[in-house]
Amino acid sequence: MEPVTETFESRKKHVCVKGEGLSIPVCDKASLPGTVTQRTCVYGGARIVLMPITDSIHLVHGPIGCAACTWDIRGSKTSREDIYKKGCSTNLQEKDIIFGGEKKLYETIIELNKLYKPGAVFVYATCVAGIIGDDIKAVCKKAEGITGCRVIPVQSEGFQNHNKTKGHWIGGDALLDYVIGTKEPEETTPFDINIVGEFNVAGDLWGIKPLLEEMGVNIISTLTGDSHVDEIAQAHRAKLNIVQCQKSSNYVAKKMEKKYGIPFIKVNFFGLEQTVASLRDVADFFGDEEMIERTERIIESGLKEVSHKIEEYKKRLTGKTVALYVGGNKAWSLVRPFEELGMDVMMSGTKNGIREDYEMIKEAVRDGTIIVDDANSAELTRLLKEHRPNLLISGAKEKYISLKLGIPFCDFNHDRITAFAGFRGFVSFAKEVDASVSSPVFELTSKSLRGD
Amino acid sequence: MSMNLIEKDRVATINPLKTCQPLGAMWAVTGISRAVPLVHGSQGCSAFVRYCLSRHFREPSEIAVTSLHEDAAVFGGRKNLVEGIQNVAIRLKPDFIGVITTCSSEIIGDDVIGFIKTAKGELKEKIGEEAVEKIKIIPISTPSFVETHLKGYDNTIKALADYVAEPSQPNEKINIIPGMVNPGDIREIKHMLRLMDIESIVLADISDPFDAPLRPSTTEYKPYYPKGGTTVDEIVDSANSVGTISLTKYAGSGALSLEKKYNVPAELGPIPIGVRNTDQFLRNLKKLTGQDIPDSILDERGLLIDSMADVASRYLFDKTVAIYGDPEITSGIARFVGELGMEPKLVLTGSKSQEFVKDIEKVAKETGAEIDTMIDQDLRSMEVYLKDNPVDLMIGGSDARLMAKENDIPLVRVGYPVYDRVGYHRRPIVGYNGGIQLMDLITNTVLEKYYEPEHWKLQQ
Repeated sequence: MEPVTETFESRKKHVCVKGEGLSIPVCDKASLPGTVTQRTCVYGGARIVLMPITDSIHLVHGPIGCAACTWDIRGSKTSREDIYKKGCSTNLQEKDIIFGGEKKLYETIIELNKLYKPGAVFVYATCVAGIIGDDIKAVCKKAEGITGCRVIPVQSEGFQNHNKTKGHWIGGDALLDYVIGTKEPEETTPFDINIVGEFNVAGDLWGIKPLLEEMGVNIISTLTGDSHVDEIAQAHRAKLNIVQCQKSSNYVAKKMEKKYGIPFIKVNFFGLEQTVASLRDVADFFGDEEMIERTERIIESGLKEVSHKIEEYKKRLTGKTVALYVGGNKAWSLVRPFEELGMDVMMSGTKNGIREDYEMIKEAVRDGTIIVDDANSAELTRLLKEHRPNLLISGAKEKYISLKLGIPFCDFNHDRITAFAGFRGFVSFAKEVDASVSSPVFELTSKSLRGD
Repeated sequence: MSMNLIEKDRVATINPLKTCQPLGAMWAVTGISRAVPLVHGSQGCSAFVRYCLSRHFREPSEIAVTSLHEDAAVFGGRKNLVEGIQNVAIRLKPDFIGVITTCSSEIIGDDVIGFIKTAKGELKEKIGEEAVEKIKIIPISTPSFVETHLKGYDNTIKALADYVAEPSQPNEKINIIPGMVNPGDIREIKHMLRLMDIESIVLADISDPFDAPLRPSTTEYKPYYPKGGTTVDEIVDSANSVGTISLTKYAGSGALSLEKKYNVPAELGPIPIGVRNTDQFLRNLKKLTGQDIPDSILDERGLLIDSMADVASRYLFDKTVAIYGDPEITSGIARFVGELGMEPKLVLTGSKSQEFVKDIEKVAKETGAEIDTMIDQDLRSMEVYLKDNPVDLMIGGSDARLMAKENDIPLVRVGYPVYDRVGYHRRPIVGYNGGIQLMDLITNTVLEKYYEPEHWKLQQ
């Protein structure tokens, strides 16, 4: 079989087409050294999971760059404190590398606690912290003893693994080991839930939370969007976990099921169909007749409010093609919402997919769809040039690659600024997709004065 | 009057005003034609920098990485680097590969020079000796735990002087080391050189690679290599130039190296921001090349001074300013706002530079202002300072935007990074033209904030 696009021999099997052969690309392998990989590191994976905890200080133990390049870049919104947005670092210097950075880390934690009185201090280990062998666990324990503030080690050395998914798990482990189960709720209800894997990017949580509350469930905590550490500490009392980002957070949900017997269901609030199905699944789980009735009313009014607003966008978008190169969860969960807009997903891929992610993608897409794993920027460029989708959905690093090729782009990464979840979120989503695809500038990008 | 140095009274770094060396190196290598920056480190080291550069320039940022993982931390990164170099060479057929180290590869003590040799040896068997010799593969040491991104930039330019420049026949060119300034600034410098009829070699020229045209793609390699950048031949030829002007005295090692090794006279700084600094730049050019300063440049100078006369005393005089960012841009702007009659109340940089302190002392003497100076500091220090000492205006990058909002102080965006406004990387702040641009920006910001719209018909 012909490879989908020209690339390194060892990369050929990372790109496949559904319906031909296995339909699942080779995945979860180390990136080829010397390529412009779109991947990031384990530290990055842990940080994006934990950073939305708004009342906490996120302290990066390493040289300045790891903190300087990542502070306040996650578009997780807050309804309360915003100390999570501070860029905190131990700023390790040469002498710390030689003599160790533990003392500096300790003093930094003490200072930060004094300045901000945070709900917790999360201490992230970087590559350097790992290599010089700083015992961040011991330092955190000592600092916690002195400050009385939760000081939580996150063993997220960047080079640990090629897959930042490992970082998601490490972030989850920090919560499981040091936070969840450390505080009892004052009261509980039969309908207590946690929303897991919802990071309130651009305010997504606020499109979901009111729907659930109107249904009559009680949200103990969100892991981790717009959350306080104290709320997550009580998460073990929930009757149900609903998991939104199944890429980052199935891990935590599974572990909570094992440790606390909390069942979980997978939900998805992107797109109307998936929003409706998710609300029904939650109501069905509790089986409460009144809740089920209320849920149907919420669904009816939600659909009524937005359905006609979608139509105008759909008119312009029908028949257009879209390529997804996104985090694992979105690589399959966005397929239906695009179909609801009349669009065809012609390619879907992820940077850090594991086999179960690609199983999900394979299920979601139609035959003939290109499925791609860890495409480096040259491959991505080539795929876009060869197949010219009407839209690429991806993140900031891919944005300008796409635009340079004259291919419309829409951000669906953690730095977007528009909320897309729930009924109203879907209208915003349709509007933003339309604004990208239908912008007249893209008629100019393919025209040359010389007519060549 | 005087300069007061305010020391940092904290161990913690909160809201950093600097980043690490590799970023500066990736920035500089991007300014070389058909070059690939190859970061020898963890994937995050390239991913986050690419993200930050893309956000600032609104351009793709193509930076390869050797993807070090745990086995490399234990056994060294030899395999990854040797394989990485070969993959870059075979696939992208570059003219230049800059091997940029990181904290991890520095600490584990990888023998980068040795690994490059090994990679070249193996490559010769695969693509032939001639093809390998065509590619310059240069080690750039950028330990992240030493100094800042500006040092990484400096080390890169020095590596070009040390590993690439070769003396042959003298040329009539001038070398320019622009420092970490924007495409618009480099273009303005080149514009002045054209008016002076001077040919130049810019080490290294990011102006096109980080501000590239979108044209229908017709060639195979587009957009793997953006338009422009300094060619390797030009860098080789830099050993033969009549002089080097580094627009930054804080990153002039490359200029000094060319002077020491090849007798190319070096002038370090100042960055031509404002009238006096630009005058100095032109005098340096004249001194090194013997070219006269033409009328066209005197006209540009006159236009700037004319514009300053129009507005400086009326709207800007005595307005207090907090200026933060990289040392040369910050000190250049401090001097310029002094020329405008404004008072630089606070100047702040993340670098730990005594040279900077001296520069600000000089500005204090010239302007008669009392300037509070902070080196090796972060934005938290500025936040604390501004609570007690509010100023009329802030000048610096986007990272202080929330602070500006909270304190109700208008912010004029300059330098790196600026990600919450568009066009700032295209607009120069250097030279007389850049001075006009910057002064207009400052003045309009002051007008917007401090002047009532209903007064306007009276207030010319």
